[in-house]
This record gives sequence, structure tokens and C-alpha cells, in this order.
Amino acid sequence: MKKSLRIALAGNPNAGKSTIFNALTGDDQHVGNWPGKTVEVKTGYFQIDDLKVEITDLPGTYSLSSFSPEEEIARNFLIQEKPDLVINVVDASNLERNLYLTLQVLETHVPTLILLNMNDVAERRGLTLNTKLLSEKLGGVEIIQMTANKNFSGDELKRKIIATAGTQNDLHLEYPKPITEIIDQLVPVIRQEAGLKIYDPTHLAVQLLEGDRHLIDDISLEAKNTFSKILGKSQENFEEDISIAIADHRYKIIQGITEKVISRKKGDVSFSDRVDNFVTNKFFGIPIFFVTMYIVFQLVQNVSAPYLDWIDGVFTGPLTHWATTFLIWVNAPDWVSSLIVDGVLAGVGGILVFLPGLFMMYLLLAILEQSGYMARAAFVMDRFMNKARLHGKSFIPMILGFGCNVPAIYATRTIKKPEARILTSLLIPFMSCSARLPVYLIFGMAFFPDKSNIVIFSLYLLGILVAASIGIILSRTLFRGETLSIMVMELPPYRLPTLSSILKYAKNQSSKFVKNAGTIIVVFSTILWLLLNLPWGVQNARDSYFGQVSNSIAPILAPAGFGTWEASGSLVTGLVAKEIVVSTFAQIYHIPQEEIAESDLGLGLEFKEIAVGFGEATILAGKETLEVFTPGITLFPDEELREDIGLSKALRSSFTPLSAYAFLVFVLLYVPCAATMGAQKQEFGWKWMTVSIAITLIVPWILSVLVFQGGTLLGLG
Amino acid sequence: MHSNHTLPLTHVPVGKLVRLVEIKGGREITHRLVEMGFNPGVEFKIIQDAGGPLLLAIRDSRIALGRSMAFRVLVQIVGN
Repeated sequence: MKKSLRIALAGNPNAGKSTIFNALTGDDQHVGNWPGKTVEVKTGYFQIDDLKVEITDLPGTYSLSSFSPEEEIARNFLIQEKPDLVINVVDASNLERNLYLTLQVLETHVPTLILLNMNDVAERRGLTLNTKLLSEKLGGVEIIQMTANKNFSGDELKRKIIATAGTQNDLHLEYPKPITEIIDQLVPVIRQEAGLKIYDPTHLAVQLLEGDRHLIDDISLEAKNTFSKILGKSQENFEEDISIAIADHRYKIIQGITEKVISRKKGDVSFSDRVDNFVTNKFFGIPIFFVTMYIVFQLVQNVSAPYLDWIDGVFTGPLTHWATTFLIWVNAPDWVSSLIVDGVLAGVGGILVFLPGLFMMYLLLAILEQSGYMARAAFVMDRFMNKARLHGKSFIPMILGFGCNVPAIYATRTIKKPEARILTSLLIPFMSCSARLPVYLIFGMAFFPDKSNIVIFSLYLLGILVAASIGIILSRTLFRGETLSIMVMELPPYRLPTLSSILKYAKNQSSKFVKNAGTIIVVFSTILWLLLNLPWGVQNARDSYFGQVSNSIAPILAPAGFGTWEASGSLVTGLVAKEIVVSTFAQIYHIPQEEIAESDLGLGLEFKEIAVGFGEATILAGKETLEVFTPGITLFPDEELREDIGLSKALRSSFTPLSAYAFLVFVLLYVPCAATMGAQKQEFGWKWMTVSIAITLIVPWILSVLVFQGGTLLGLG
Repeated sequence: MHSNHTLPLTHVPVGKLVRLVEIKGGREITHRLVEMGFNPGVEFKIIQDAGGPLLLAIRDSRIALGRSMAFRVLVQIVGN
């Protein structure tokens, strides 16, 4: 027996594949892009006895027909890589539809183990399965019944994997006579062609009939002609398309199986359907969606703010103090101290400050996704997305944009029509990503201390409104043709997300973000520090190179009410990443200085301060989180106004509340960051990236000018 | 009796049991729908009409179908 095994997991979306994958591999997994493709494929490992098993989690698909990149990857892996075993995860509560993929998997003749999942759901719906009979009907394939998050035994599954790997699987589906006749003509031609030796001839014949012609791209011209002739003639005997006749026939086979295998008692009206009566309802759906979004932003904001104070305090207080003391002790030259304290430390602090909020945002997105609500949101929003000739599915990448625009741009890959994809990706930058949140928080606390929640929510809403308007305009101008593609989307049953899986998602996404953004920020904080301190010995930041450049841009922004070199400078650095806007202000205004003197507490006390501060922040975050669920009732009256952080004071000296809001509107709508531009360039090329940049410079300028001038006219200035 | 009367899915009231007769779509989208369980003869219901897409209960799953596509799915009403 071999010392290592290669196996794959295949199954429908929502069949519970990833839970099984995580249970088998634990943390020993990595995510990579499929060579030449943009779909993520996860690989993991586990060890049993002295056998090392490599397991590939194929993308969730309904079939192996290769109409989408996901299907093509899943199919190519099975028929070209020939793994030792494929575990087909099957949702027992949705057997008919799941068995379609199962039949296609079995037709590849790769050794197969069927894992029947979700048996508890099936039971509740009054379905009983005869697994022995099912196995018989499927050519004796091994079936193991377990429910991923209930009675799951990793060990039992692992033993079964070893026992089943490499076994024979020779189910042969009987197709109706006219189809079989064509298969019989194709098989000898396939056998003769050396380049097709790796394929099972019958299976390849069926795939060619299903319209999958990529597989014979690399064969001789002569053979290609023979294929074309047979395939061309094949259609003559069929009223409907032959590929559809094949798919239809598979379902006939499945119906023949399920009639005998499933016995149905009358089950309860499912919990999901009862919830959907409200959540997908014509009248309640939209209000429920907006309430959900409001709660999400409240939670993010309420968790962010207390920790933001704490982290900011730690960085500007003890950490700065320690670093300064240390640098004096080692006799570091002034410029080194300044670089480390005002450059690197300020920069790192600037990003860590909003890590709690970011983590919370990812946590909530994971809950929305895994509970099944995200698909409902796409469903209720479809009607509105249609107005921009997009369908509800485009809404999912846009919601993801609230976390981070970069993965959102990549998530547009699930949209089939290229025009619809490009249009969606042009609208994503208006979705307020989590990197914009620290800017709102700082300004919110400085200018709208009692109303910062409302101010922040209004910005998220404005982003959605602008995206909708721009979408309507673009779909009637730049994309006048047919961009509307067809929505066919499964709404999975509601499920309680497991704590471990949402934590894992939030942890992975946040650490990915800190790694990527953190590197950029440290580099740019250093460059920024240099520009602020050059020409060497410059006293006033305004006279530095940075100040000079920013000063020349400032007049353009004057009509929006923030024509200062500080504001334009921070917006320029924000092009790299929006969170830098905050750290730029911090660097420009030299915030740490005044607080160093106050915090001379001695090392022990400072540690105590940090710990107590963390505790206080946690309690505050917890209290405010509870308050979100009791609107109108104040559970915990504010004992004292939140302490002003240094930056707020400095900001109030150069903004009025109105110009601050205009500034936030600009921050919301302008070019998200270098990484998003990079993603757009990678996906759609220079042309569309340039279009996107143009839109996200013109639109924010117009709107922030409107806000400022309109507000001034109304006497709000 | 409606049994011989074929009509687009968009014209069917919520809650009626229908049988699929034909999909008037392109080859690719029709193939995809058949693979998701929409093959001729299958019986299903509309359970929500959100004004835009329809929510269908078909083969133990819940599938959202865009209105423009639903218009091209021809069905017969077979029951309540």
C-alpha cells in the first residue's frame, strides 16, 4: 500500500463540504489559486497511522459540465489528476438534486465514497433513506452517514477513507438508444487518439455530447474532423438539444432511484420556510434587510469605539513613552527617534486602532453568509438591482465590499455576463469598506459626539444610494447593451453558524488584512515621515515637501470646505489605503508630543493602566452591544463623556462640523485604495481601472461640494 | 380544468402546484436549469413573489429565479 493518499471533496454548494474539510484537516490547510484560474482551492492534510493524506476541497458545484470555472476545475481535477478517492458530500435532505452531481462523479470512474450529510434536517422533514438500497442502485458505492456538526466522528471517516481509496467504481449509466448509438460511434475514435489515453472513453464521449469541447482542443486535426462530423450528425435525431436530453435522462434515472429509496412522511413546515414567509416577503423583506444592516453597523461601531480609545491611548501614551525613553537611553540621534516614534509607531498604531472593528465586521459578515441570510438579501434586492440592469447576485460582492473592496472585486467572478461583472466592480468602491470606518470614527467623535452612530450610518446609506444612482446612469450610457443576466440561485436552509467557523473566518480575514495593509502602511508612514521632514531641518510641516505638494492641491478642494493642505495631504496618502488618512493627520499634527509628559507613571503603573484600560474597553463594548438590541431604552447611562483623544482636538481647529461631514463624504466616495485599483486592473485591464478612478474622483468632488455649499446656504456652516 | 393550458411561470399565482413543460431559453441557460432540477415533467410551487424574482420550492430545495427567466419557463397548473 502507498504511504500517501490524494483525495478530493466534491459536492453541491451548501452541502456542508467545508465543515467536513475543516473537521478532517484542522488547521493544517492552505488556500491557493488554481493554476491559471482565479478560483480558490483549499488543500489540507491529515495523518492516520503512518499514512499521509492530502485532501483537496473542490469548489461547490451542481454539476461537472464546465459551464463555469468552478465546474471546470472540479471536473478536470477528477478526470486528469485521478485522485485515489473522491468523497462526494451529499445533502440527505435534498437528495434528488444532489444525486445529479453524484451520477456525474460516478461516471468519471474515480473511486468514490458518498458521505450523506444533514440527516437531521432530512429526518425533520419526514424523509427516511434506505442507504443500503441507495448503494445498490449506485453500483455498490460505499456510503457513510454522518451529520457534520452533530455525531461526526473524524476517526471513523478517516478509517473509511483508507478502506475505500483505490477501490473499483464501475457504475455504467444506461442512456436511451439514440444516445448510446452515438456514444458507440465516438468511443473507437477516442481509443485511437494517443492524446486522449488518460480519459475513460465512454465518459469522454458523454462529455463531448454535453457540449464540452475543450477536452479535445489538443488532438490531431484529422481526429477533430471525425468528431465534428459525428457530433454534427448526432443532433439530427433529436428534437431537443442532445446535451439537455442527457441531463434530462440523468434526472429520470435519479427519480427511478429516489422513488424506491426515500420514504416520505408528512414532515413539519420547515423552520426555514416559516422564516422566509417574512424575510423574503414582498413588503417585509426590504425593511428587514435595512434593520439587519443597521444592527451590523451599530455593533461594529460600538465595539470599535472603546477599543479605539484604548489602543490609541496605549500607542500615544506608554508605548511612545517607552520607545522615547529607550531611544534616549541608547543615545539615538534625534532623527532616528523621530522616525521610529512619529513614523513607524504612529503608522502601526494607526492600523491596529481599527482592528477590533474590522474583526467584528468580518465576524458579522460570516454570520450573515453562513446563516443563509446573504442569499435572501440578494433575493429581496434583485428587484432594485434590476433597475441598474444587474441582478440580485451582484449584491453579494457589494455587501462583501463593506468588509473590504478587494475581495469584493474578486467575488464578482460569480457573475456570468462580463458587462454585468464590470459594472458591478465599478460600483463596489462606493461600498464603505472597513478601512474607511476609522476615519468616520475619529471625525464622528470629534464633531458629532452624541450623533456619531447616525452620522456613520448615513454615510453607509449614502454609499448605497450613490452606487444605485451611478449604476442606473451607467447602465443607460456606458453599458447600454444587454447587461442583465439571469438569476438562478439556491436559497440554502437557515442554519446556525458554528462559533468556530465564524471565528476562523474573521481571524483569517483580519490577519490577511493586517499583513497586506500593515506592510503598505509601515512603508508609507516612513515615506510620509521623510516627506514631512524634508528639506532637512524644516520647522513647520507646511513648508516640507509634503506640505508644498498638498498645498498646491488644496485650492481644488476649497469649494468643498476643506481646502487646507492638511486635508488634501491626508487624502493623497489615503490613495494608498484609506486608513492612512487617520495616521497622516496624526503625523501632521504631531499628536503624541503633549501626552508624553503626562504619562510618566513608571513601568509597573503603565502596565496596570494598559490592562485596566483593556478591561474597561471590553466592558464598555459589551454594554453598548447590549444596547443595540434594546432600542430606545438606555440600559447603562453614560457615566462620563468619552475622553477626547488628542487628534480630535487638533481636527476641531481646522474643520467645522459641516466641512467635516463634507470631508467624510469625500472619503467615502473617492478611490478606495491602491489594492482595489490593482484588483480592477488584474480583472478588467487598464481601461476599466482608469474609468473607475475617473468616476471615483469626479463623483466625490461633486457630492462633497454639494454637501458643503448646500449646508452653507441652509445656514449649517 | 387548466390541465392542457400552458402558461409562463410569471402568470401562475403563488401556492399552485405546477408541472414544467418547456424552457424557452438559450441552450446554455436551459442546460444549467435542467441540471439544477428543472427538467420537463418536474412538479413545483411558487412560494414567494417578491415583486422581482420568484422563490420556488422544487425537489426539496428553494431556488430564486429571476423574473425575466421565469417568463420563459412554461408550465401547466396541476393542483392547488
